Amino acid sequence: MLRLILRNLVEKKIRFALTTLTVVMGVMFVVGAFVLTDSLRATFSELASDIASGTDLIVRTAQEVGGDFDRPPLPEDLVDPVARVDGVGQVLPAVAAVNVVIVDGDGEAIVPPGPPALGFNFRDSLFFLVEGRAPVGGGEFAADADTAARNNLRVGGTYAINGPIRAEDFELVGVFNFGSPDTNTSVGQTMAAFDLPTAQRFLGFEGEVLTIGVRVSPGADPAAVKADLEAALGDSYEVITQQIVAQEQEADFGDFINIFNWILLVFAFIAVFVSAFIINNTFQMVLDQRVREIGLWRAVGATPRQVGWSVIGESAVVGALATAVGIGCGMGLSVVLRVLLRAGGFGLPSGPLELRPRTVLLAVLVGLGVTVISSVGPALRARRISPIAALHHGYRIAPAGLRRRLITGGAVAAAGVAALIAGMFGGLGTAPTLALIGAGALATFIGINTVSPAFARPIARLLGRPMQAVFRVPGRIARENAARNPRRTASTAGALMIGLALVGLTAVVGESVETTFVRTLDNAVTADYFVRSTRQGFNPSAGFSEQVADDLEALDELDRVVRYRFAFGSVEVNGIPRDITAAEMAAVESHLDGDVVSGDLASADPPTSVALHVDPAADLQVGVGDTVEMTFPDNETATLTVAAVYADATIYGNWLIDLALWDEHFNRSDLAFASATIAGFSDDLDEAEQAVLLDRSRAAIDEALADYPTVKAENRVEFRQSQQAQLNSFLIVITLFLGLALVIALVGITNTLALSVFERTREIGLLRAVGMTRRQLRRSIRWEAAIVAVFGALLGVAVGVVFGVAATLALPDAFVNDVRIPWTTLAVYVAVSALAGLIAAIGPARRAGRMKVLDAIAYE
Amino acid sequence: MTDTTTLAVAARAVGATKIYGAGDTEVRALDAIDVSFEQGRFTAIMGPSGSGKSTLMHCMAGLDTVTGGQVFIGDTDLSTLSERDLTLLRRDHVGFVFQAFNLVPTLNAIENITLPMDLAGADGDPAWIDEVVDTTGLGDRVKHRPNELSGGQQQRVAVARALAGKPQIIFADEPTGNVDSNTGAEILDFMGRAVTEMGQTIVMVTHDAAVAARADRVVFLVDGKIVDELADPTPEGIRDRMNRLGT
Repeated sequence: MLRLILRNLVEKKIRFALTTLTVVMGVMFVVGAFVLTDSLRATFSELASDIASGTDLIVRTAQEVGGDFDRPPLPEDLVDPVARVDGVGQVLPAVAAVNVVIVDGDGEAIVPPGPPALGFNFRDSLFFLVEGRAPVGGGEFAADADTAARNNLRVGGTYAINGPIRAEDFELVGVFNFGSPDTNTSVGQTMAAFDLPTAQRFLGFEGEVLTIGVRVSPGADPAAVKADLEAALGDSYEVITQQIVAQEQEADFGDFINIFNWILLVFAFIAVFVSAFIINNTFQMVLDQRVREIGLWRAVGATPRQVGWSVIGESAVVGALATAVGIGCGMGLSVVLRVLLRAGGFGLPSGPLELRPRTVLLAVLVGLGVTVISSVGPALRARRISPIAALHHGYRIAPAGLRRRLITGGAVAAAGVAALIAGMFGGLGTAPTLALIGAGALATFIGINTVSPAFARPIARLLGRPMQAVFRVPGRIARENAARNPRRTASTAGALMIGLALVGLTAVVGESVETTFVRTLDNAVTADYFVRSTRQGFNPSAGFSEQVADDLEALDELDRVVRYRFAFGSVEVNGIPRDITAAEMAAVESHLDGDVVSGDLASADPPTSVALHVDPAADLQVGVGDTVEMTFPDNETATLTVAAVYADATIYGNWLIDLALWDEHFNRSDLAFASATIAGFSDDLDEAEQAVLLDRSRAAIDEALADYPTVKAENRVEFRQSQQAQLNSFLIVITLFLGLALVIALVGITNTLALSVFERTREIGLLRAVGMTRRQLRRSIRWEAAIVAVFGALLGVAVGVVFGVAATLALPDAFVNDVRIPWTTLAVYVAVSALAGLIAAIGPARRAGRMKVLDAIAYE
Repeated sequence: MTDTTTLAVAARAVGATKIYGAGDTEVRALDAIDVSFEQGRFTAIMGPSGSGKSTLMHCMAGLDTVTGGQVFIGDTDLSTLSERDLTLLRRDHVGFVFQAFNLVPTLNAIENITLPMDLAGADGDPAWIDEVVDTTGLGDRVKHRPNELSGGQQQRVAVARALAGKPQIIFADEPTGNVDSNTGAEILDFMGRAVTEMGQTIVMVTHDAAVAARADRVVFLVDGKIVDELADPTPEGIRDRMNRLGT
């Protein structure tokens, strides 16, 4: 039996190769995802211990909430007491800050693609010079090797650096590797290092340090020193060991790595899922073509069971081979991704590829498992082939009845939708929610795919109508061939259906969110200028120096400047970390209106008030006048009075406090954002007067901001456009999904057509004999593919729009309250799919064109 | 033979040679054949298996090319034509009837009949097409697809297709090979009427003496050479010749 299976495969090499290809793609993404992230994790873990190894212990403020950069600093006076503790060999005070942006020789700010721009004090334990010397005194800095090389920074050159407080010029005196003597492990961050006094002054740590590193004296026991330090310093400070530092460092790296892992796994999921359809389809078609042969096996004594197992066996061989090839390709993919990420500015360290047993196991599960499971249906059908098939020319396996198909498919789809709804509204934990949504989507797609053959024929006929009108006979043949085998058409289109459903869903949600967002902005925005970091849009972690606001406020042309600070998850209310925005409560409404529904911001007492969005207010059941306990990064908990509740979270986020309160509890003073109004500007002025004011204020602002290349000011129209542009950036993700779905669908269509063409050899010979030219023949095959592709695309768009509208309705009103369907975009997706279909058919069409008429006629 | 000088020639071969393979494995399927098929006549090509009768038909019909000599349809030398021109020639000037699988399964009977004209984007001669369709006796079944027609009906549709475009010549390859004898007789009648009543030229390959006897002339082929021929044949006469040729 095995010999028969193998011979079958060898004889049908192309068919085999195409089927294998789809499985390979699925396995490739799974393996690529895990190999890349495992390798990075291994390398980073090594790095983390390298980075930690410079110190034995670290003294810092104990912190319960907030990020590392929100950690309250230590008084500088603490350094000496630490140094006097028994067993302390060397003390290494450290300061660090975000939003320290170097400006290169061309006046361009060096902006990392995502990771932060950091500033430090230079320490031998962490910064390993590769060129020049360590910075000394007020005018010098050193930069990490990648930043220096990528931006052509030369030792000896003078560069402006925009710090969290002000911008200054520094001379570059050294270039270093961060974390390890051999490799720079800055991971895409840009790093500027100064001597300690300069760092303290420039980064905003006058009289303070962020942490104190400790090296124990030779022979001293770190654990004992730790205990002594803790006893000496008291409860407000904590002392952590090298291991903890390494773990924390590793966890930071881990967050970064997990993002890649998730993105790749989503790709893998789509690839695998879509492949399953194609595999199933291919085995089905191959079976149809081999009916006579299988009938002969049965006639000479093979049992139905043997026939069934031979089909499964064939799929197992395909799956095994595809898994092996896929693992190889996955390793290759991880190398390519690493190179791409490095080219994109994420300085990933190189290291050996890690192929863990877990990855191999997953690859086998995916490659072999999916293939074998996909072939179970065809295998069961193969068992029903009777020996008569060998003798009977037109023997066909009876397809499942339409009625049964509708009932089964409908039930599966309904179960899927139910699971989706349960996942979305069930209020379960993250893991069960994702599992339910994943399983729900899977079942929904399978259900739809089961039902879709029922209407594949009429729709294919309808879609083919214009082609028949334009191309006459080739169009007619394309149309009829697309409608000929609805089951095949439907499952071939299935790949595109899934891809476009995902894309359609995202497009609808995206468009709706954008519409809501833009309308909210239009309603809320009253300021004339918006000052923000040039880093990707309104990114609150990409801040700029407070001095920018001071400089703008000094301008006569401007009336008032409102400052906004922001921190992610840095305060705690009811034990849950919350994002926090700070702004001058009395003035903020006159610039950006958050739509206060109750209470009053202007009359609030700044240091003891909080304002919040209606959603958290409803969750916590608090209203104006009630109190809320908020814990800050300095471990202090304040009892705040709710001054106002507002309806628009786009502007203020969920929690808003006054700057006065922020400054009490945060050591960060960089601004996330600022807004300004023009002096003397009012709607009562005529257009010419307005234009004069606009021009004058713009010129003044541009001059004031000339020193800050990381900051830009936008007027209302520009601001709106840049916000829209930022929302559009996630179109890139959609396009990637579409691209992947198209590639796999392309393979699927090619595969099906190649088999169909093979199946229709005689028919093609006949058409050619009676005078169909090669060009007409190729055209008919290409347009057949286009019909199938458009069928899949329309189905997908329909599903995507339904899901998209449902998701939009399910999302909180704060994000989206205006359902919009981007018809033009969707139409473009369908057109692109049609084009993909045409491209997929090129190969099979050529093959059909090359068939010798005589061979085709004589083909048995 | 007597009429060759008086009737125009629809197709002819001059020293037509077809060689497969090379060296030791060389096979001469056609060995310098000279033959003419006159207009308005029904010719049968007979010969044992492997005699080259199908190869001759394929080469004369522009489905295959000769390796030596020339083949003409009317005045056109097929050896000078490109693949595309050959296709157009088949479409516009040659009709075909095969043993089986004659019809495109996705097109109905009438669409199959007008297929070559539709491929050419030509309208054909509606009166003539009506007449041809009439003679198939399909009636209102012309809107049916091939799988809804009997074997005989399918072959009649095939013959009608061959006739519809008024080609210079029709080639039929064992047209009755796949149907029972009654149906076969019916198809042969239909083809005979196409020659006598419509003035068509038909060349038919067969190995059945009874079928060949329906032709005006029989050409005998053995080992790629024309070895004999017979005008106004009878089944007995054909069997007698075949026996003498040692087949």
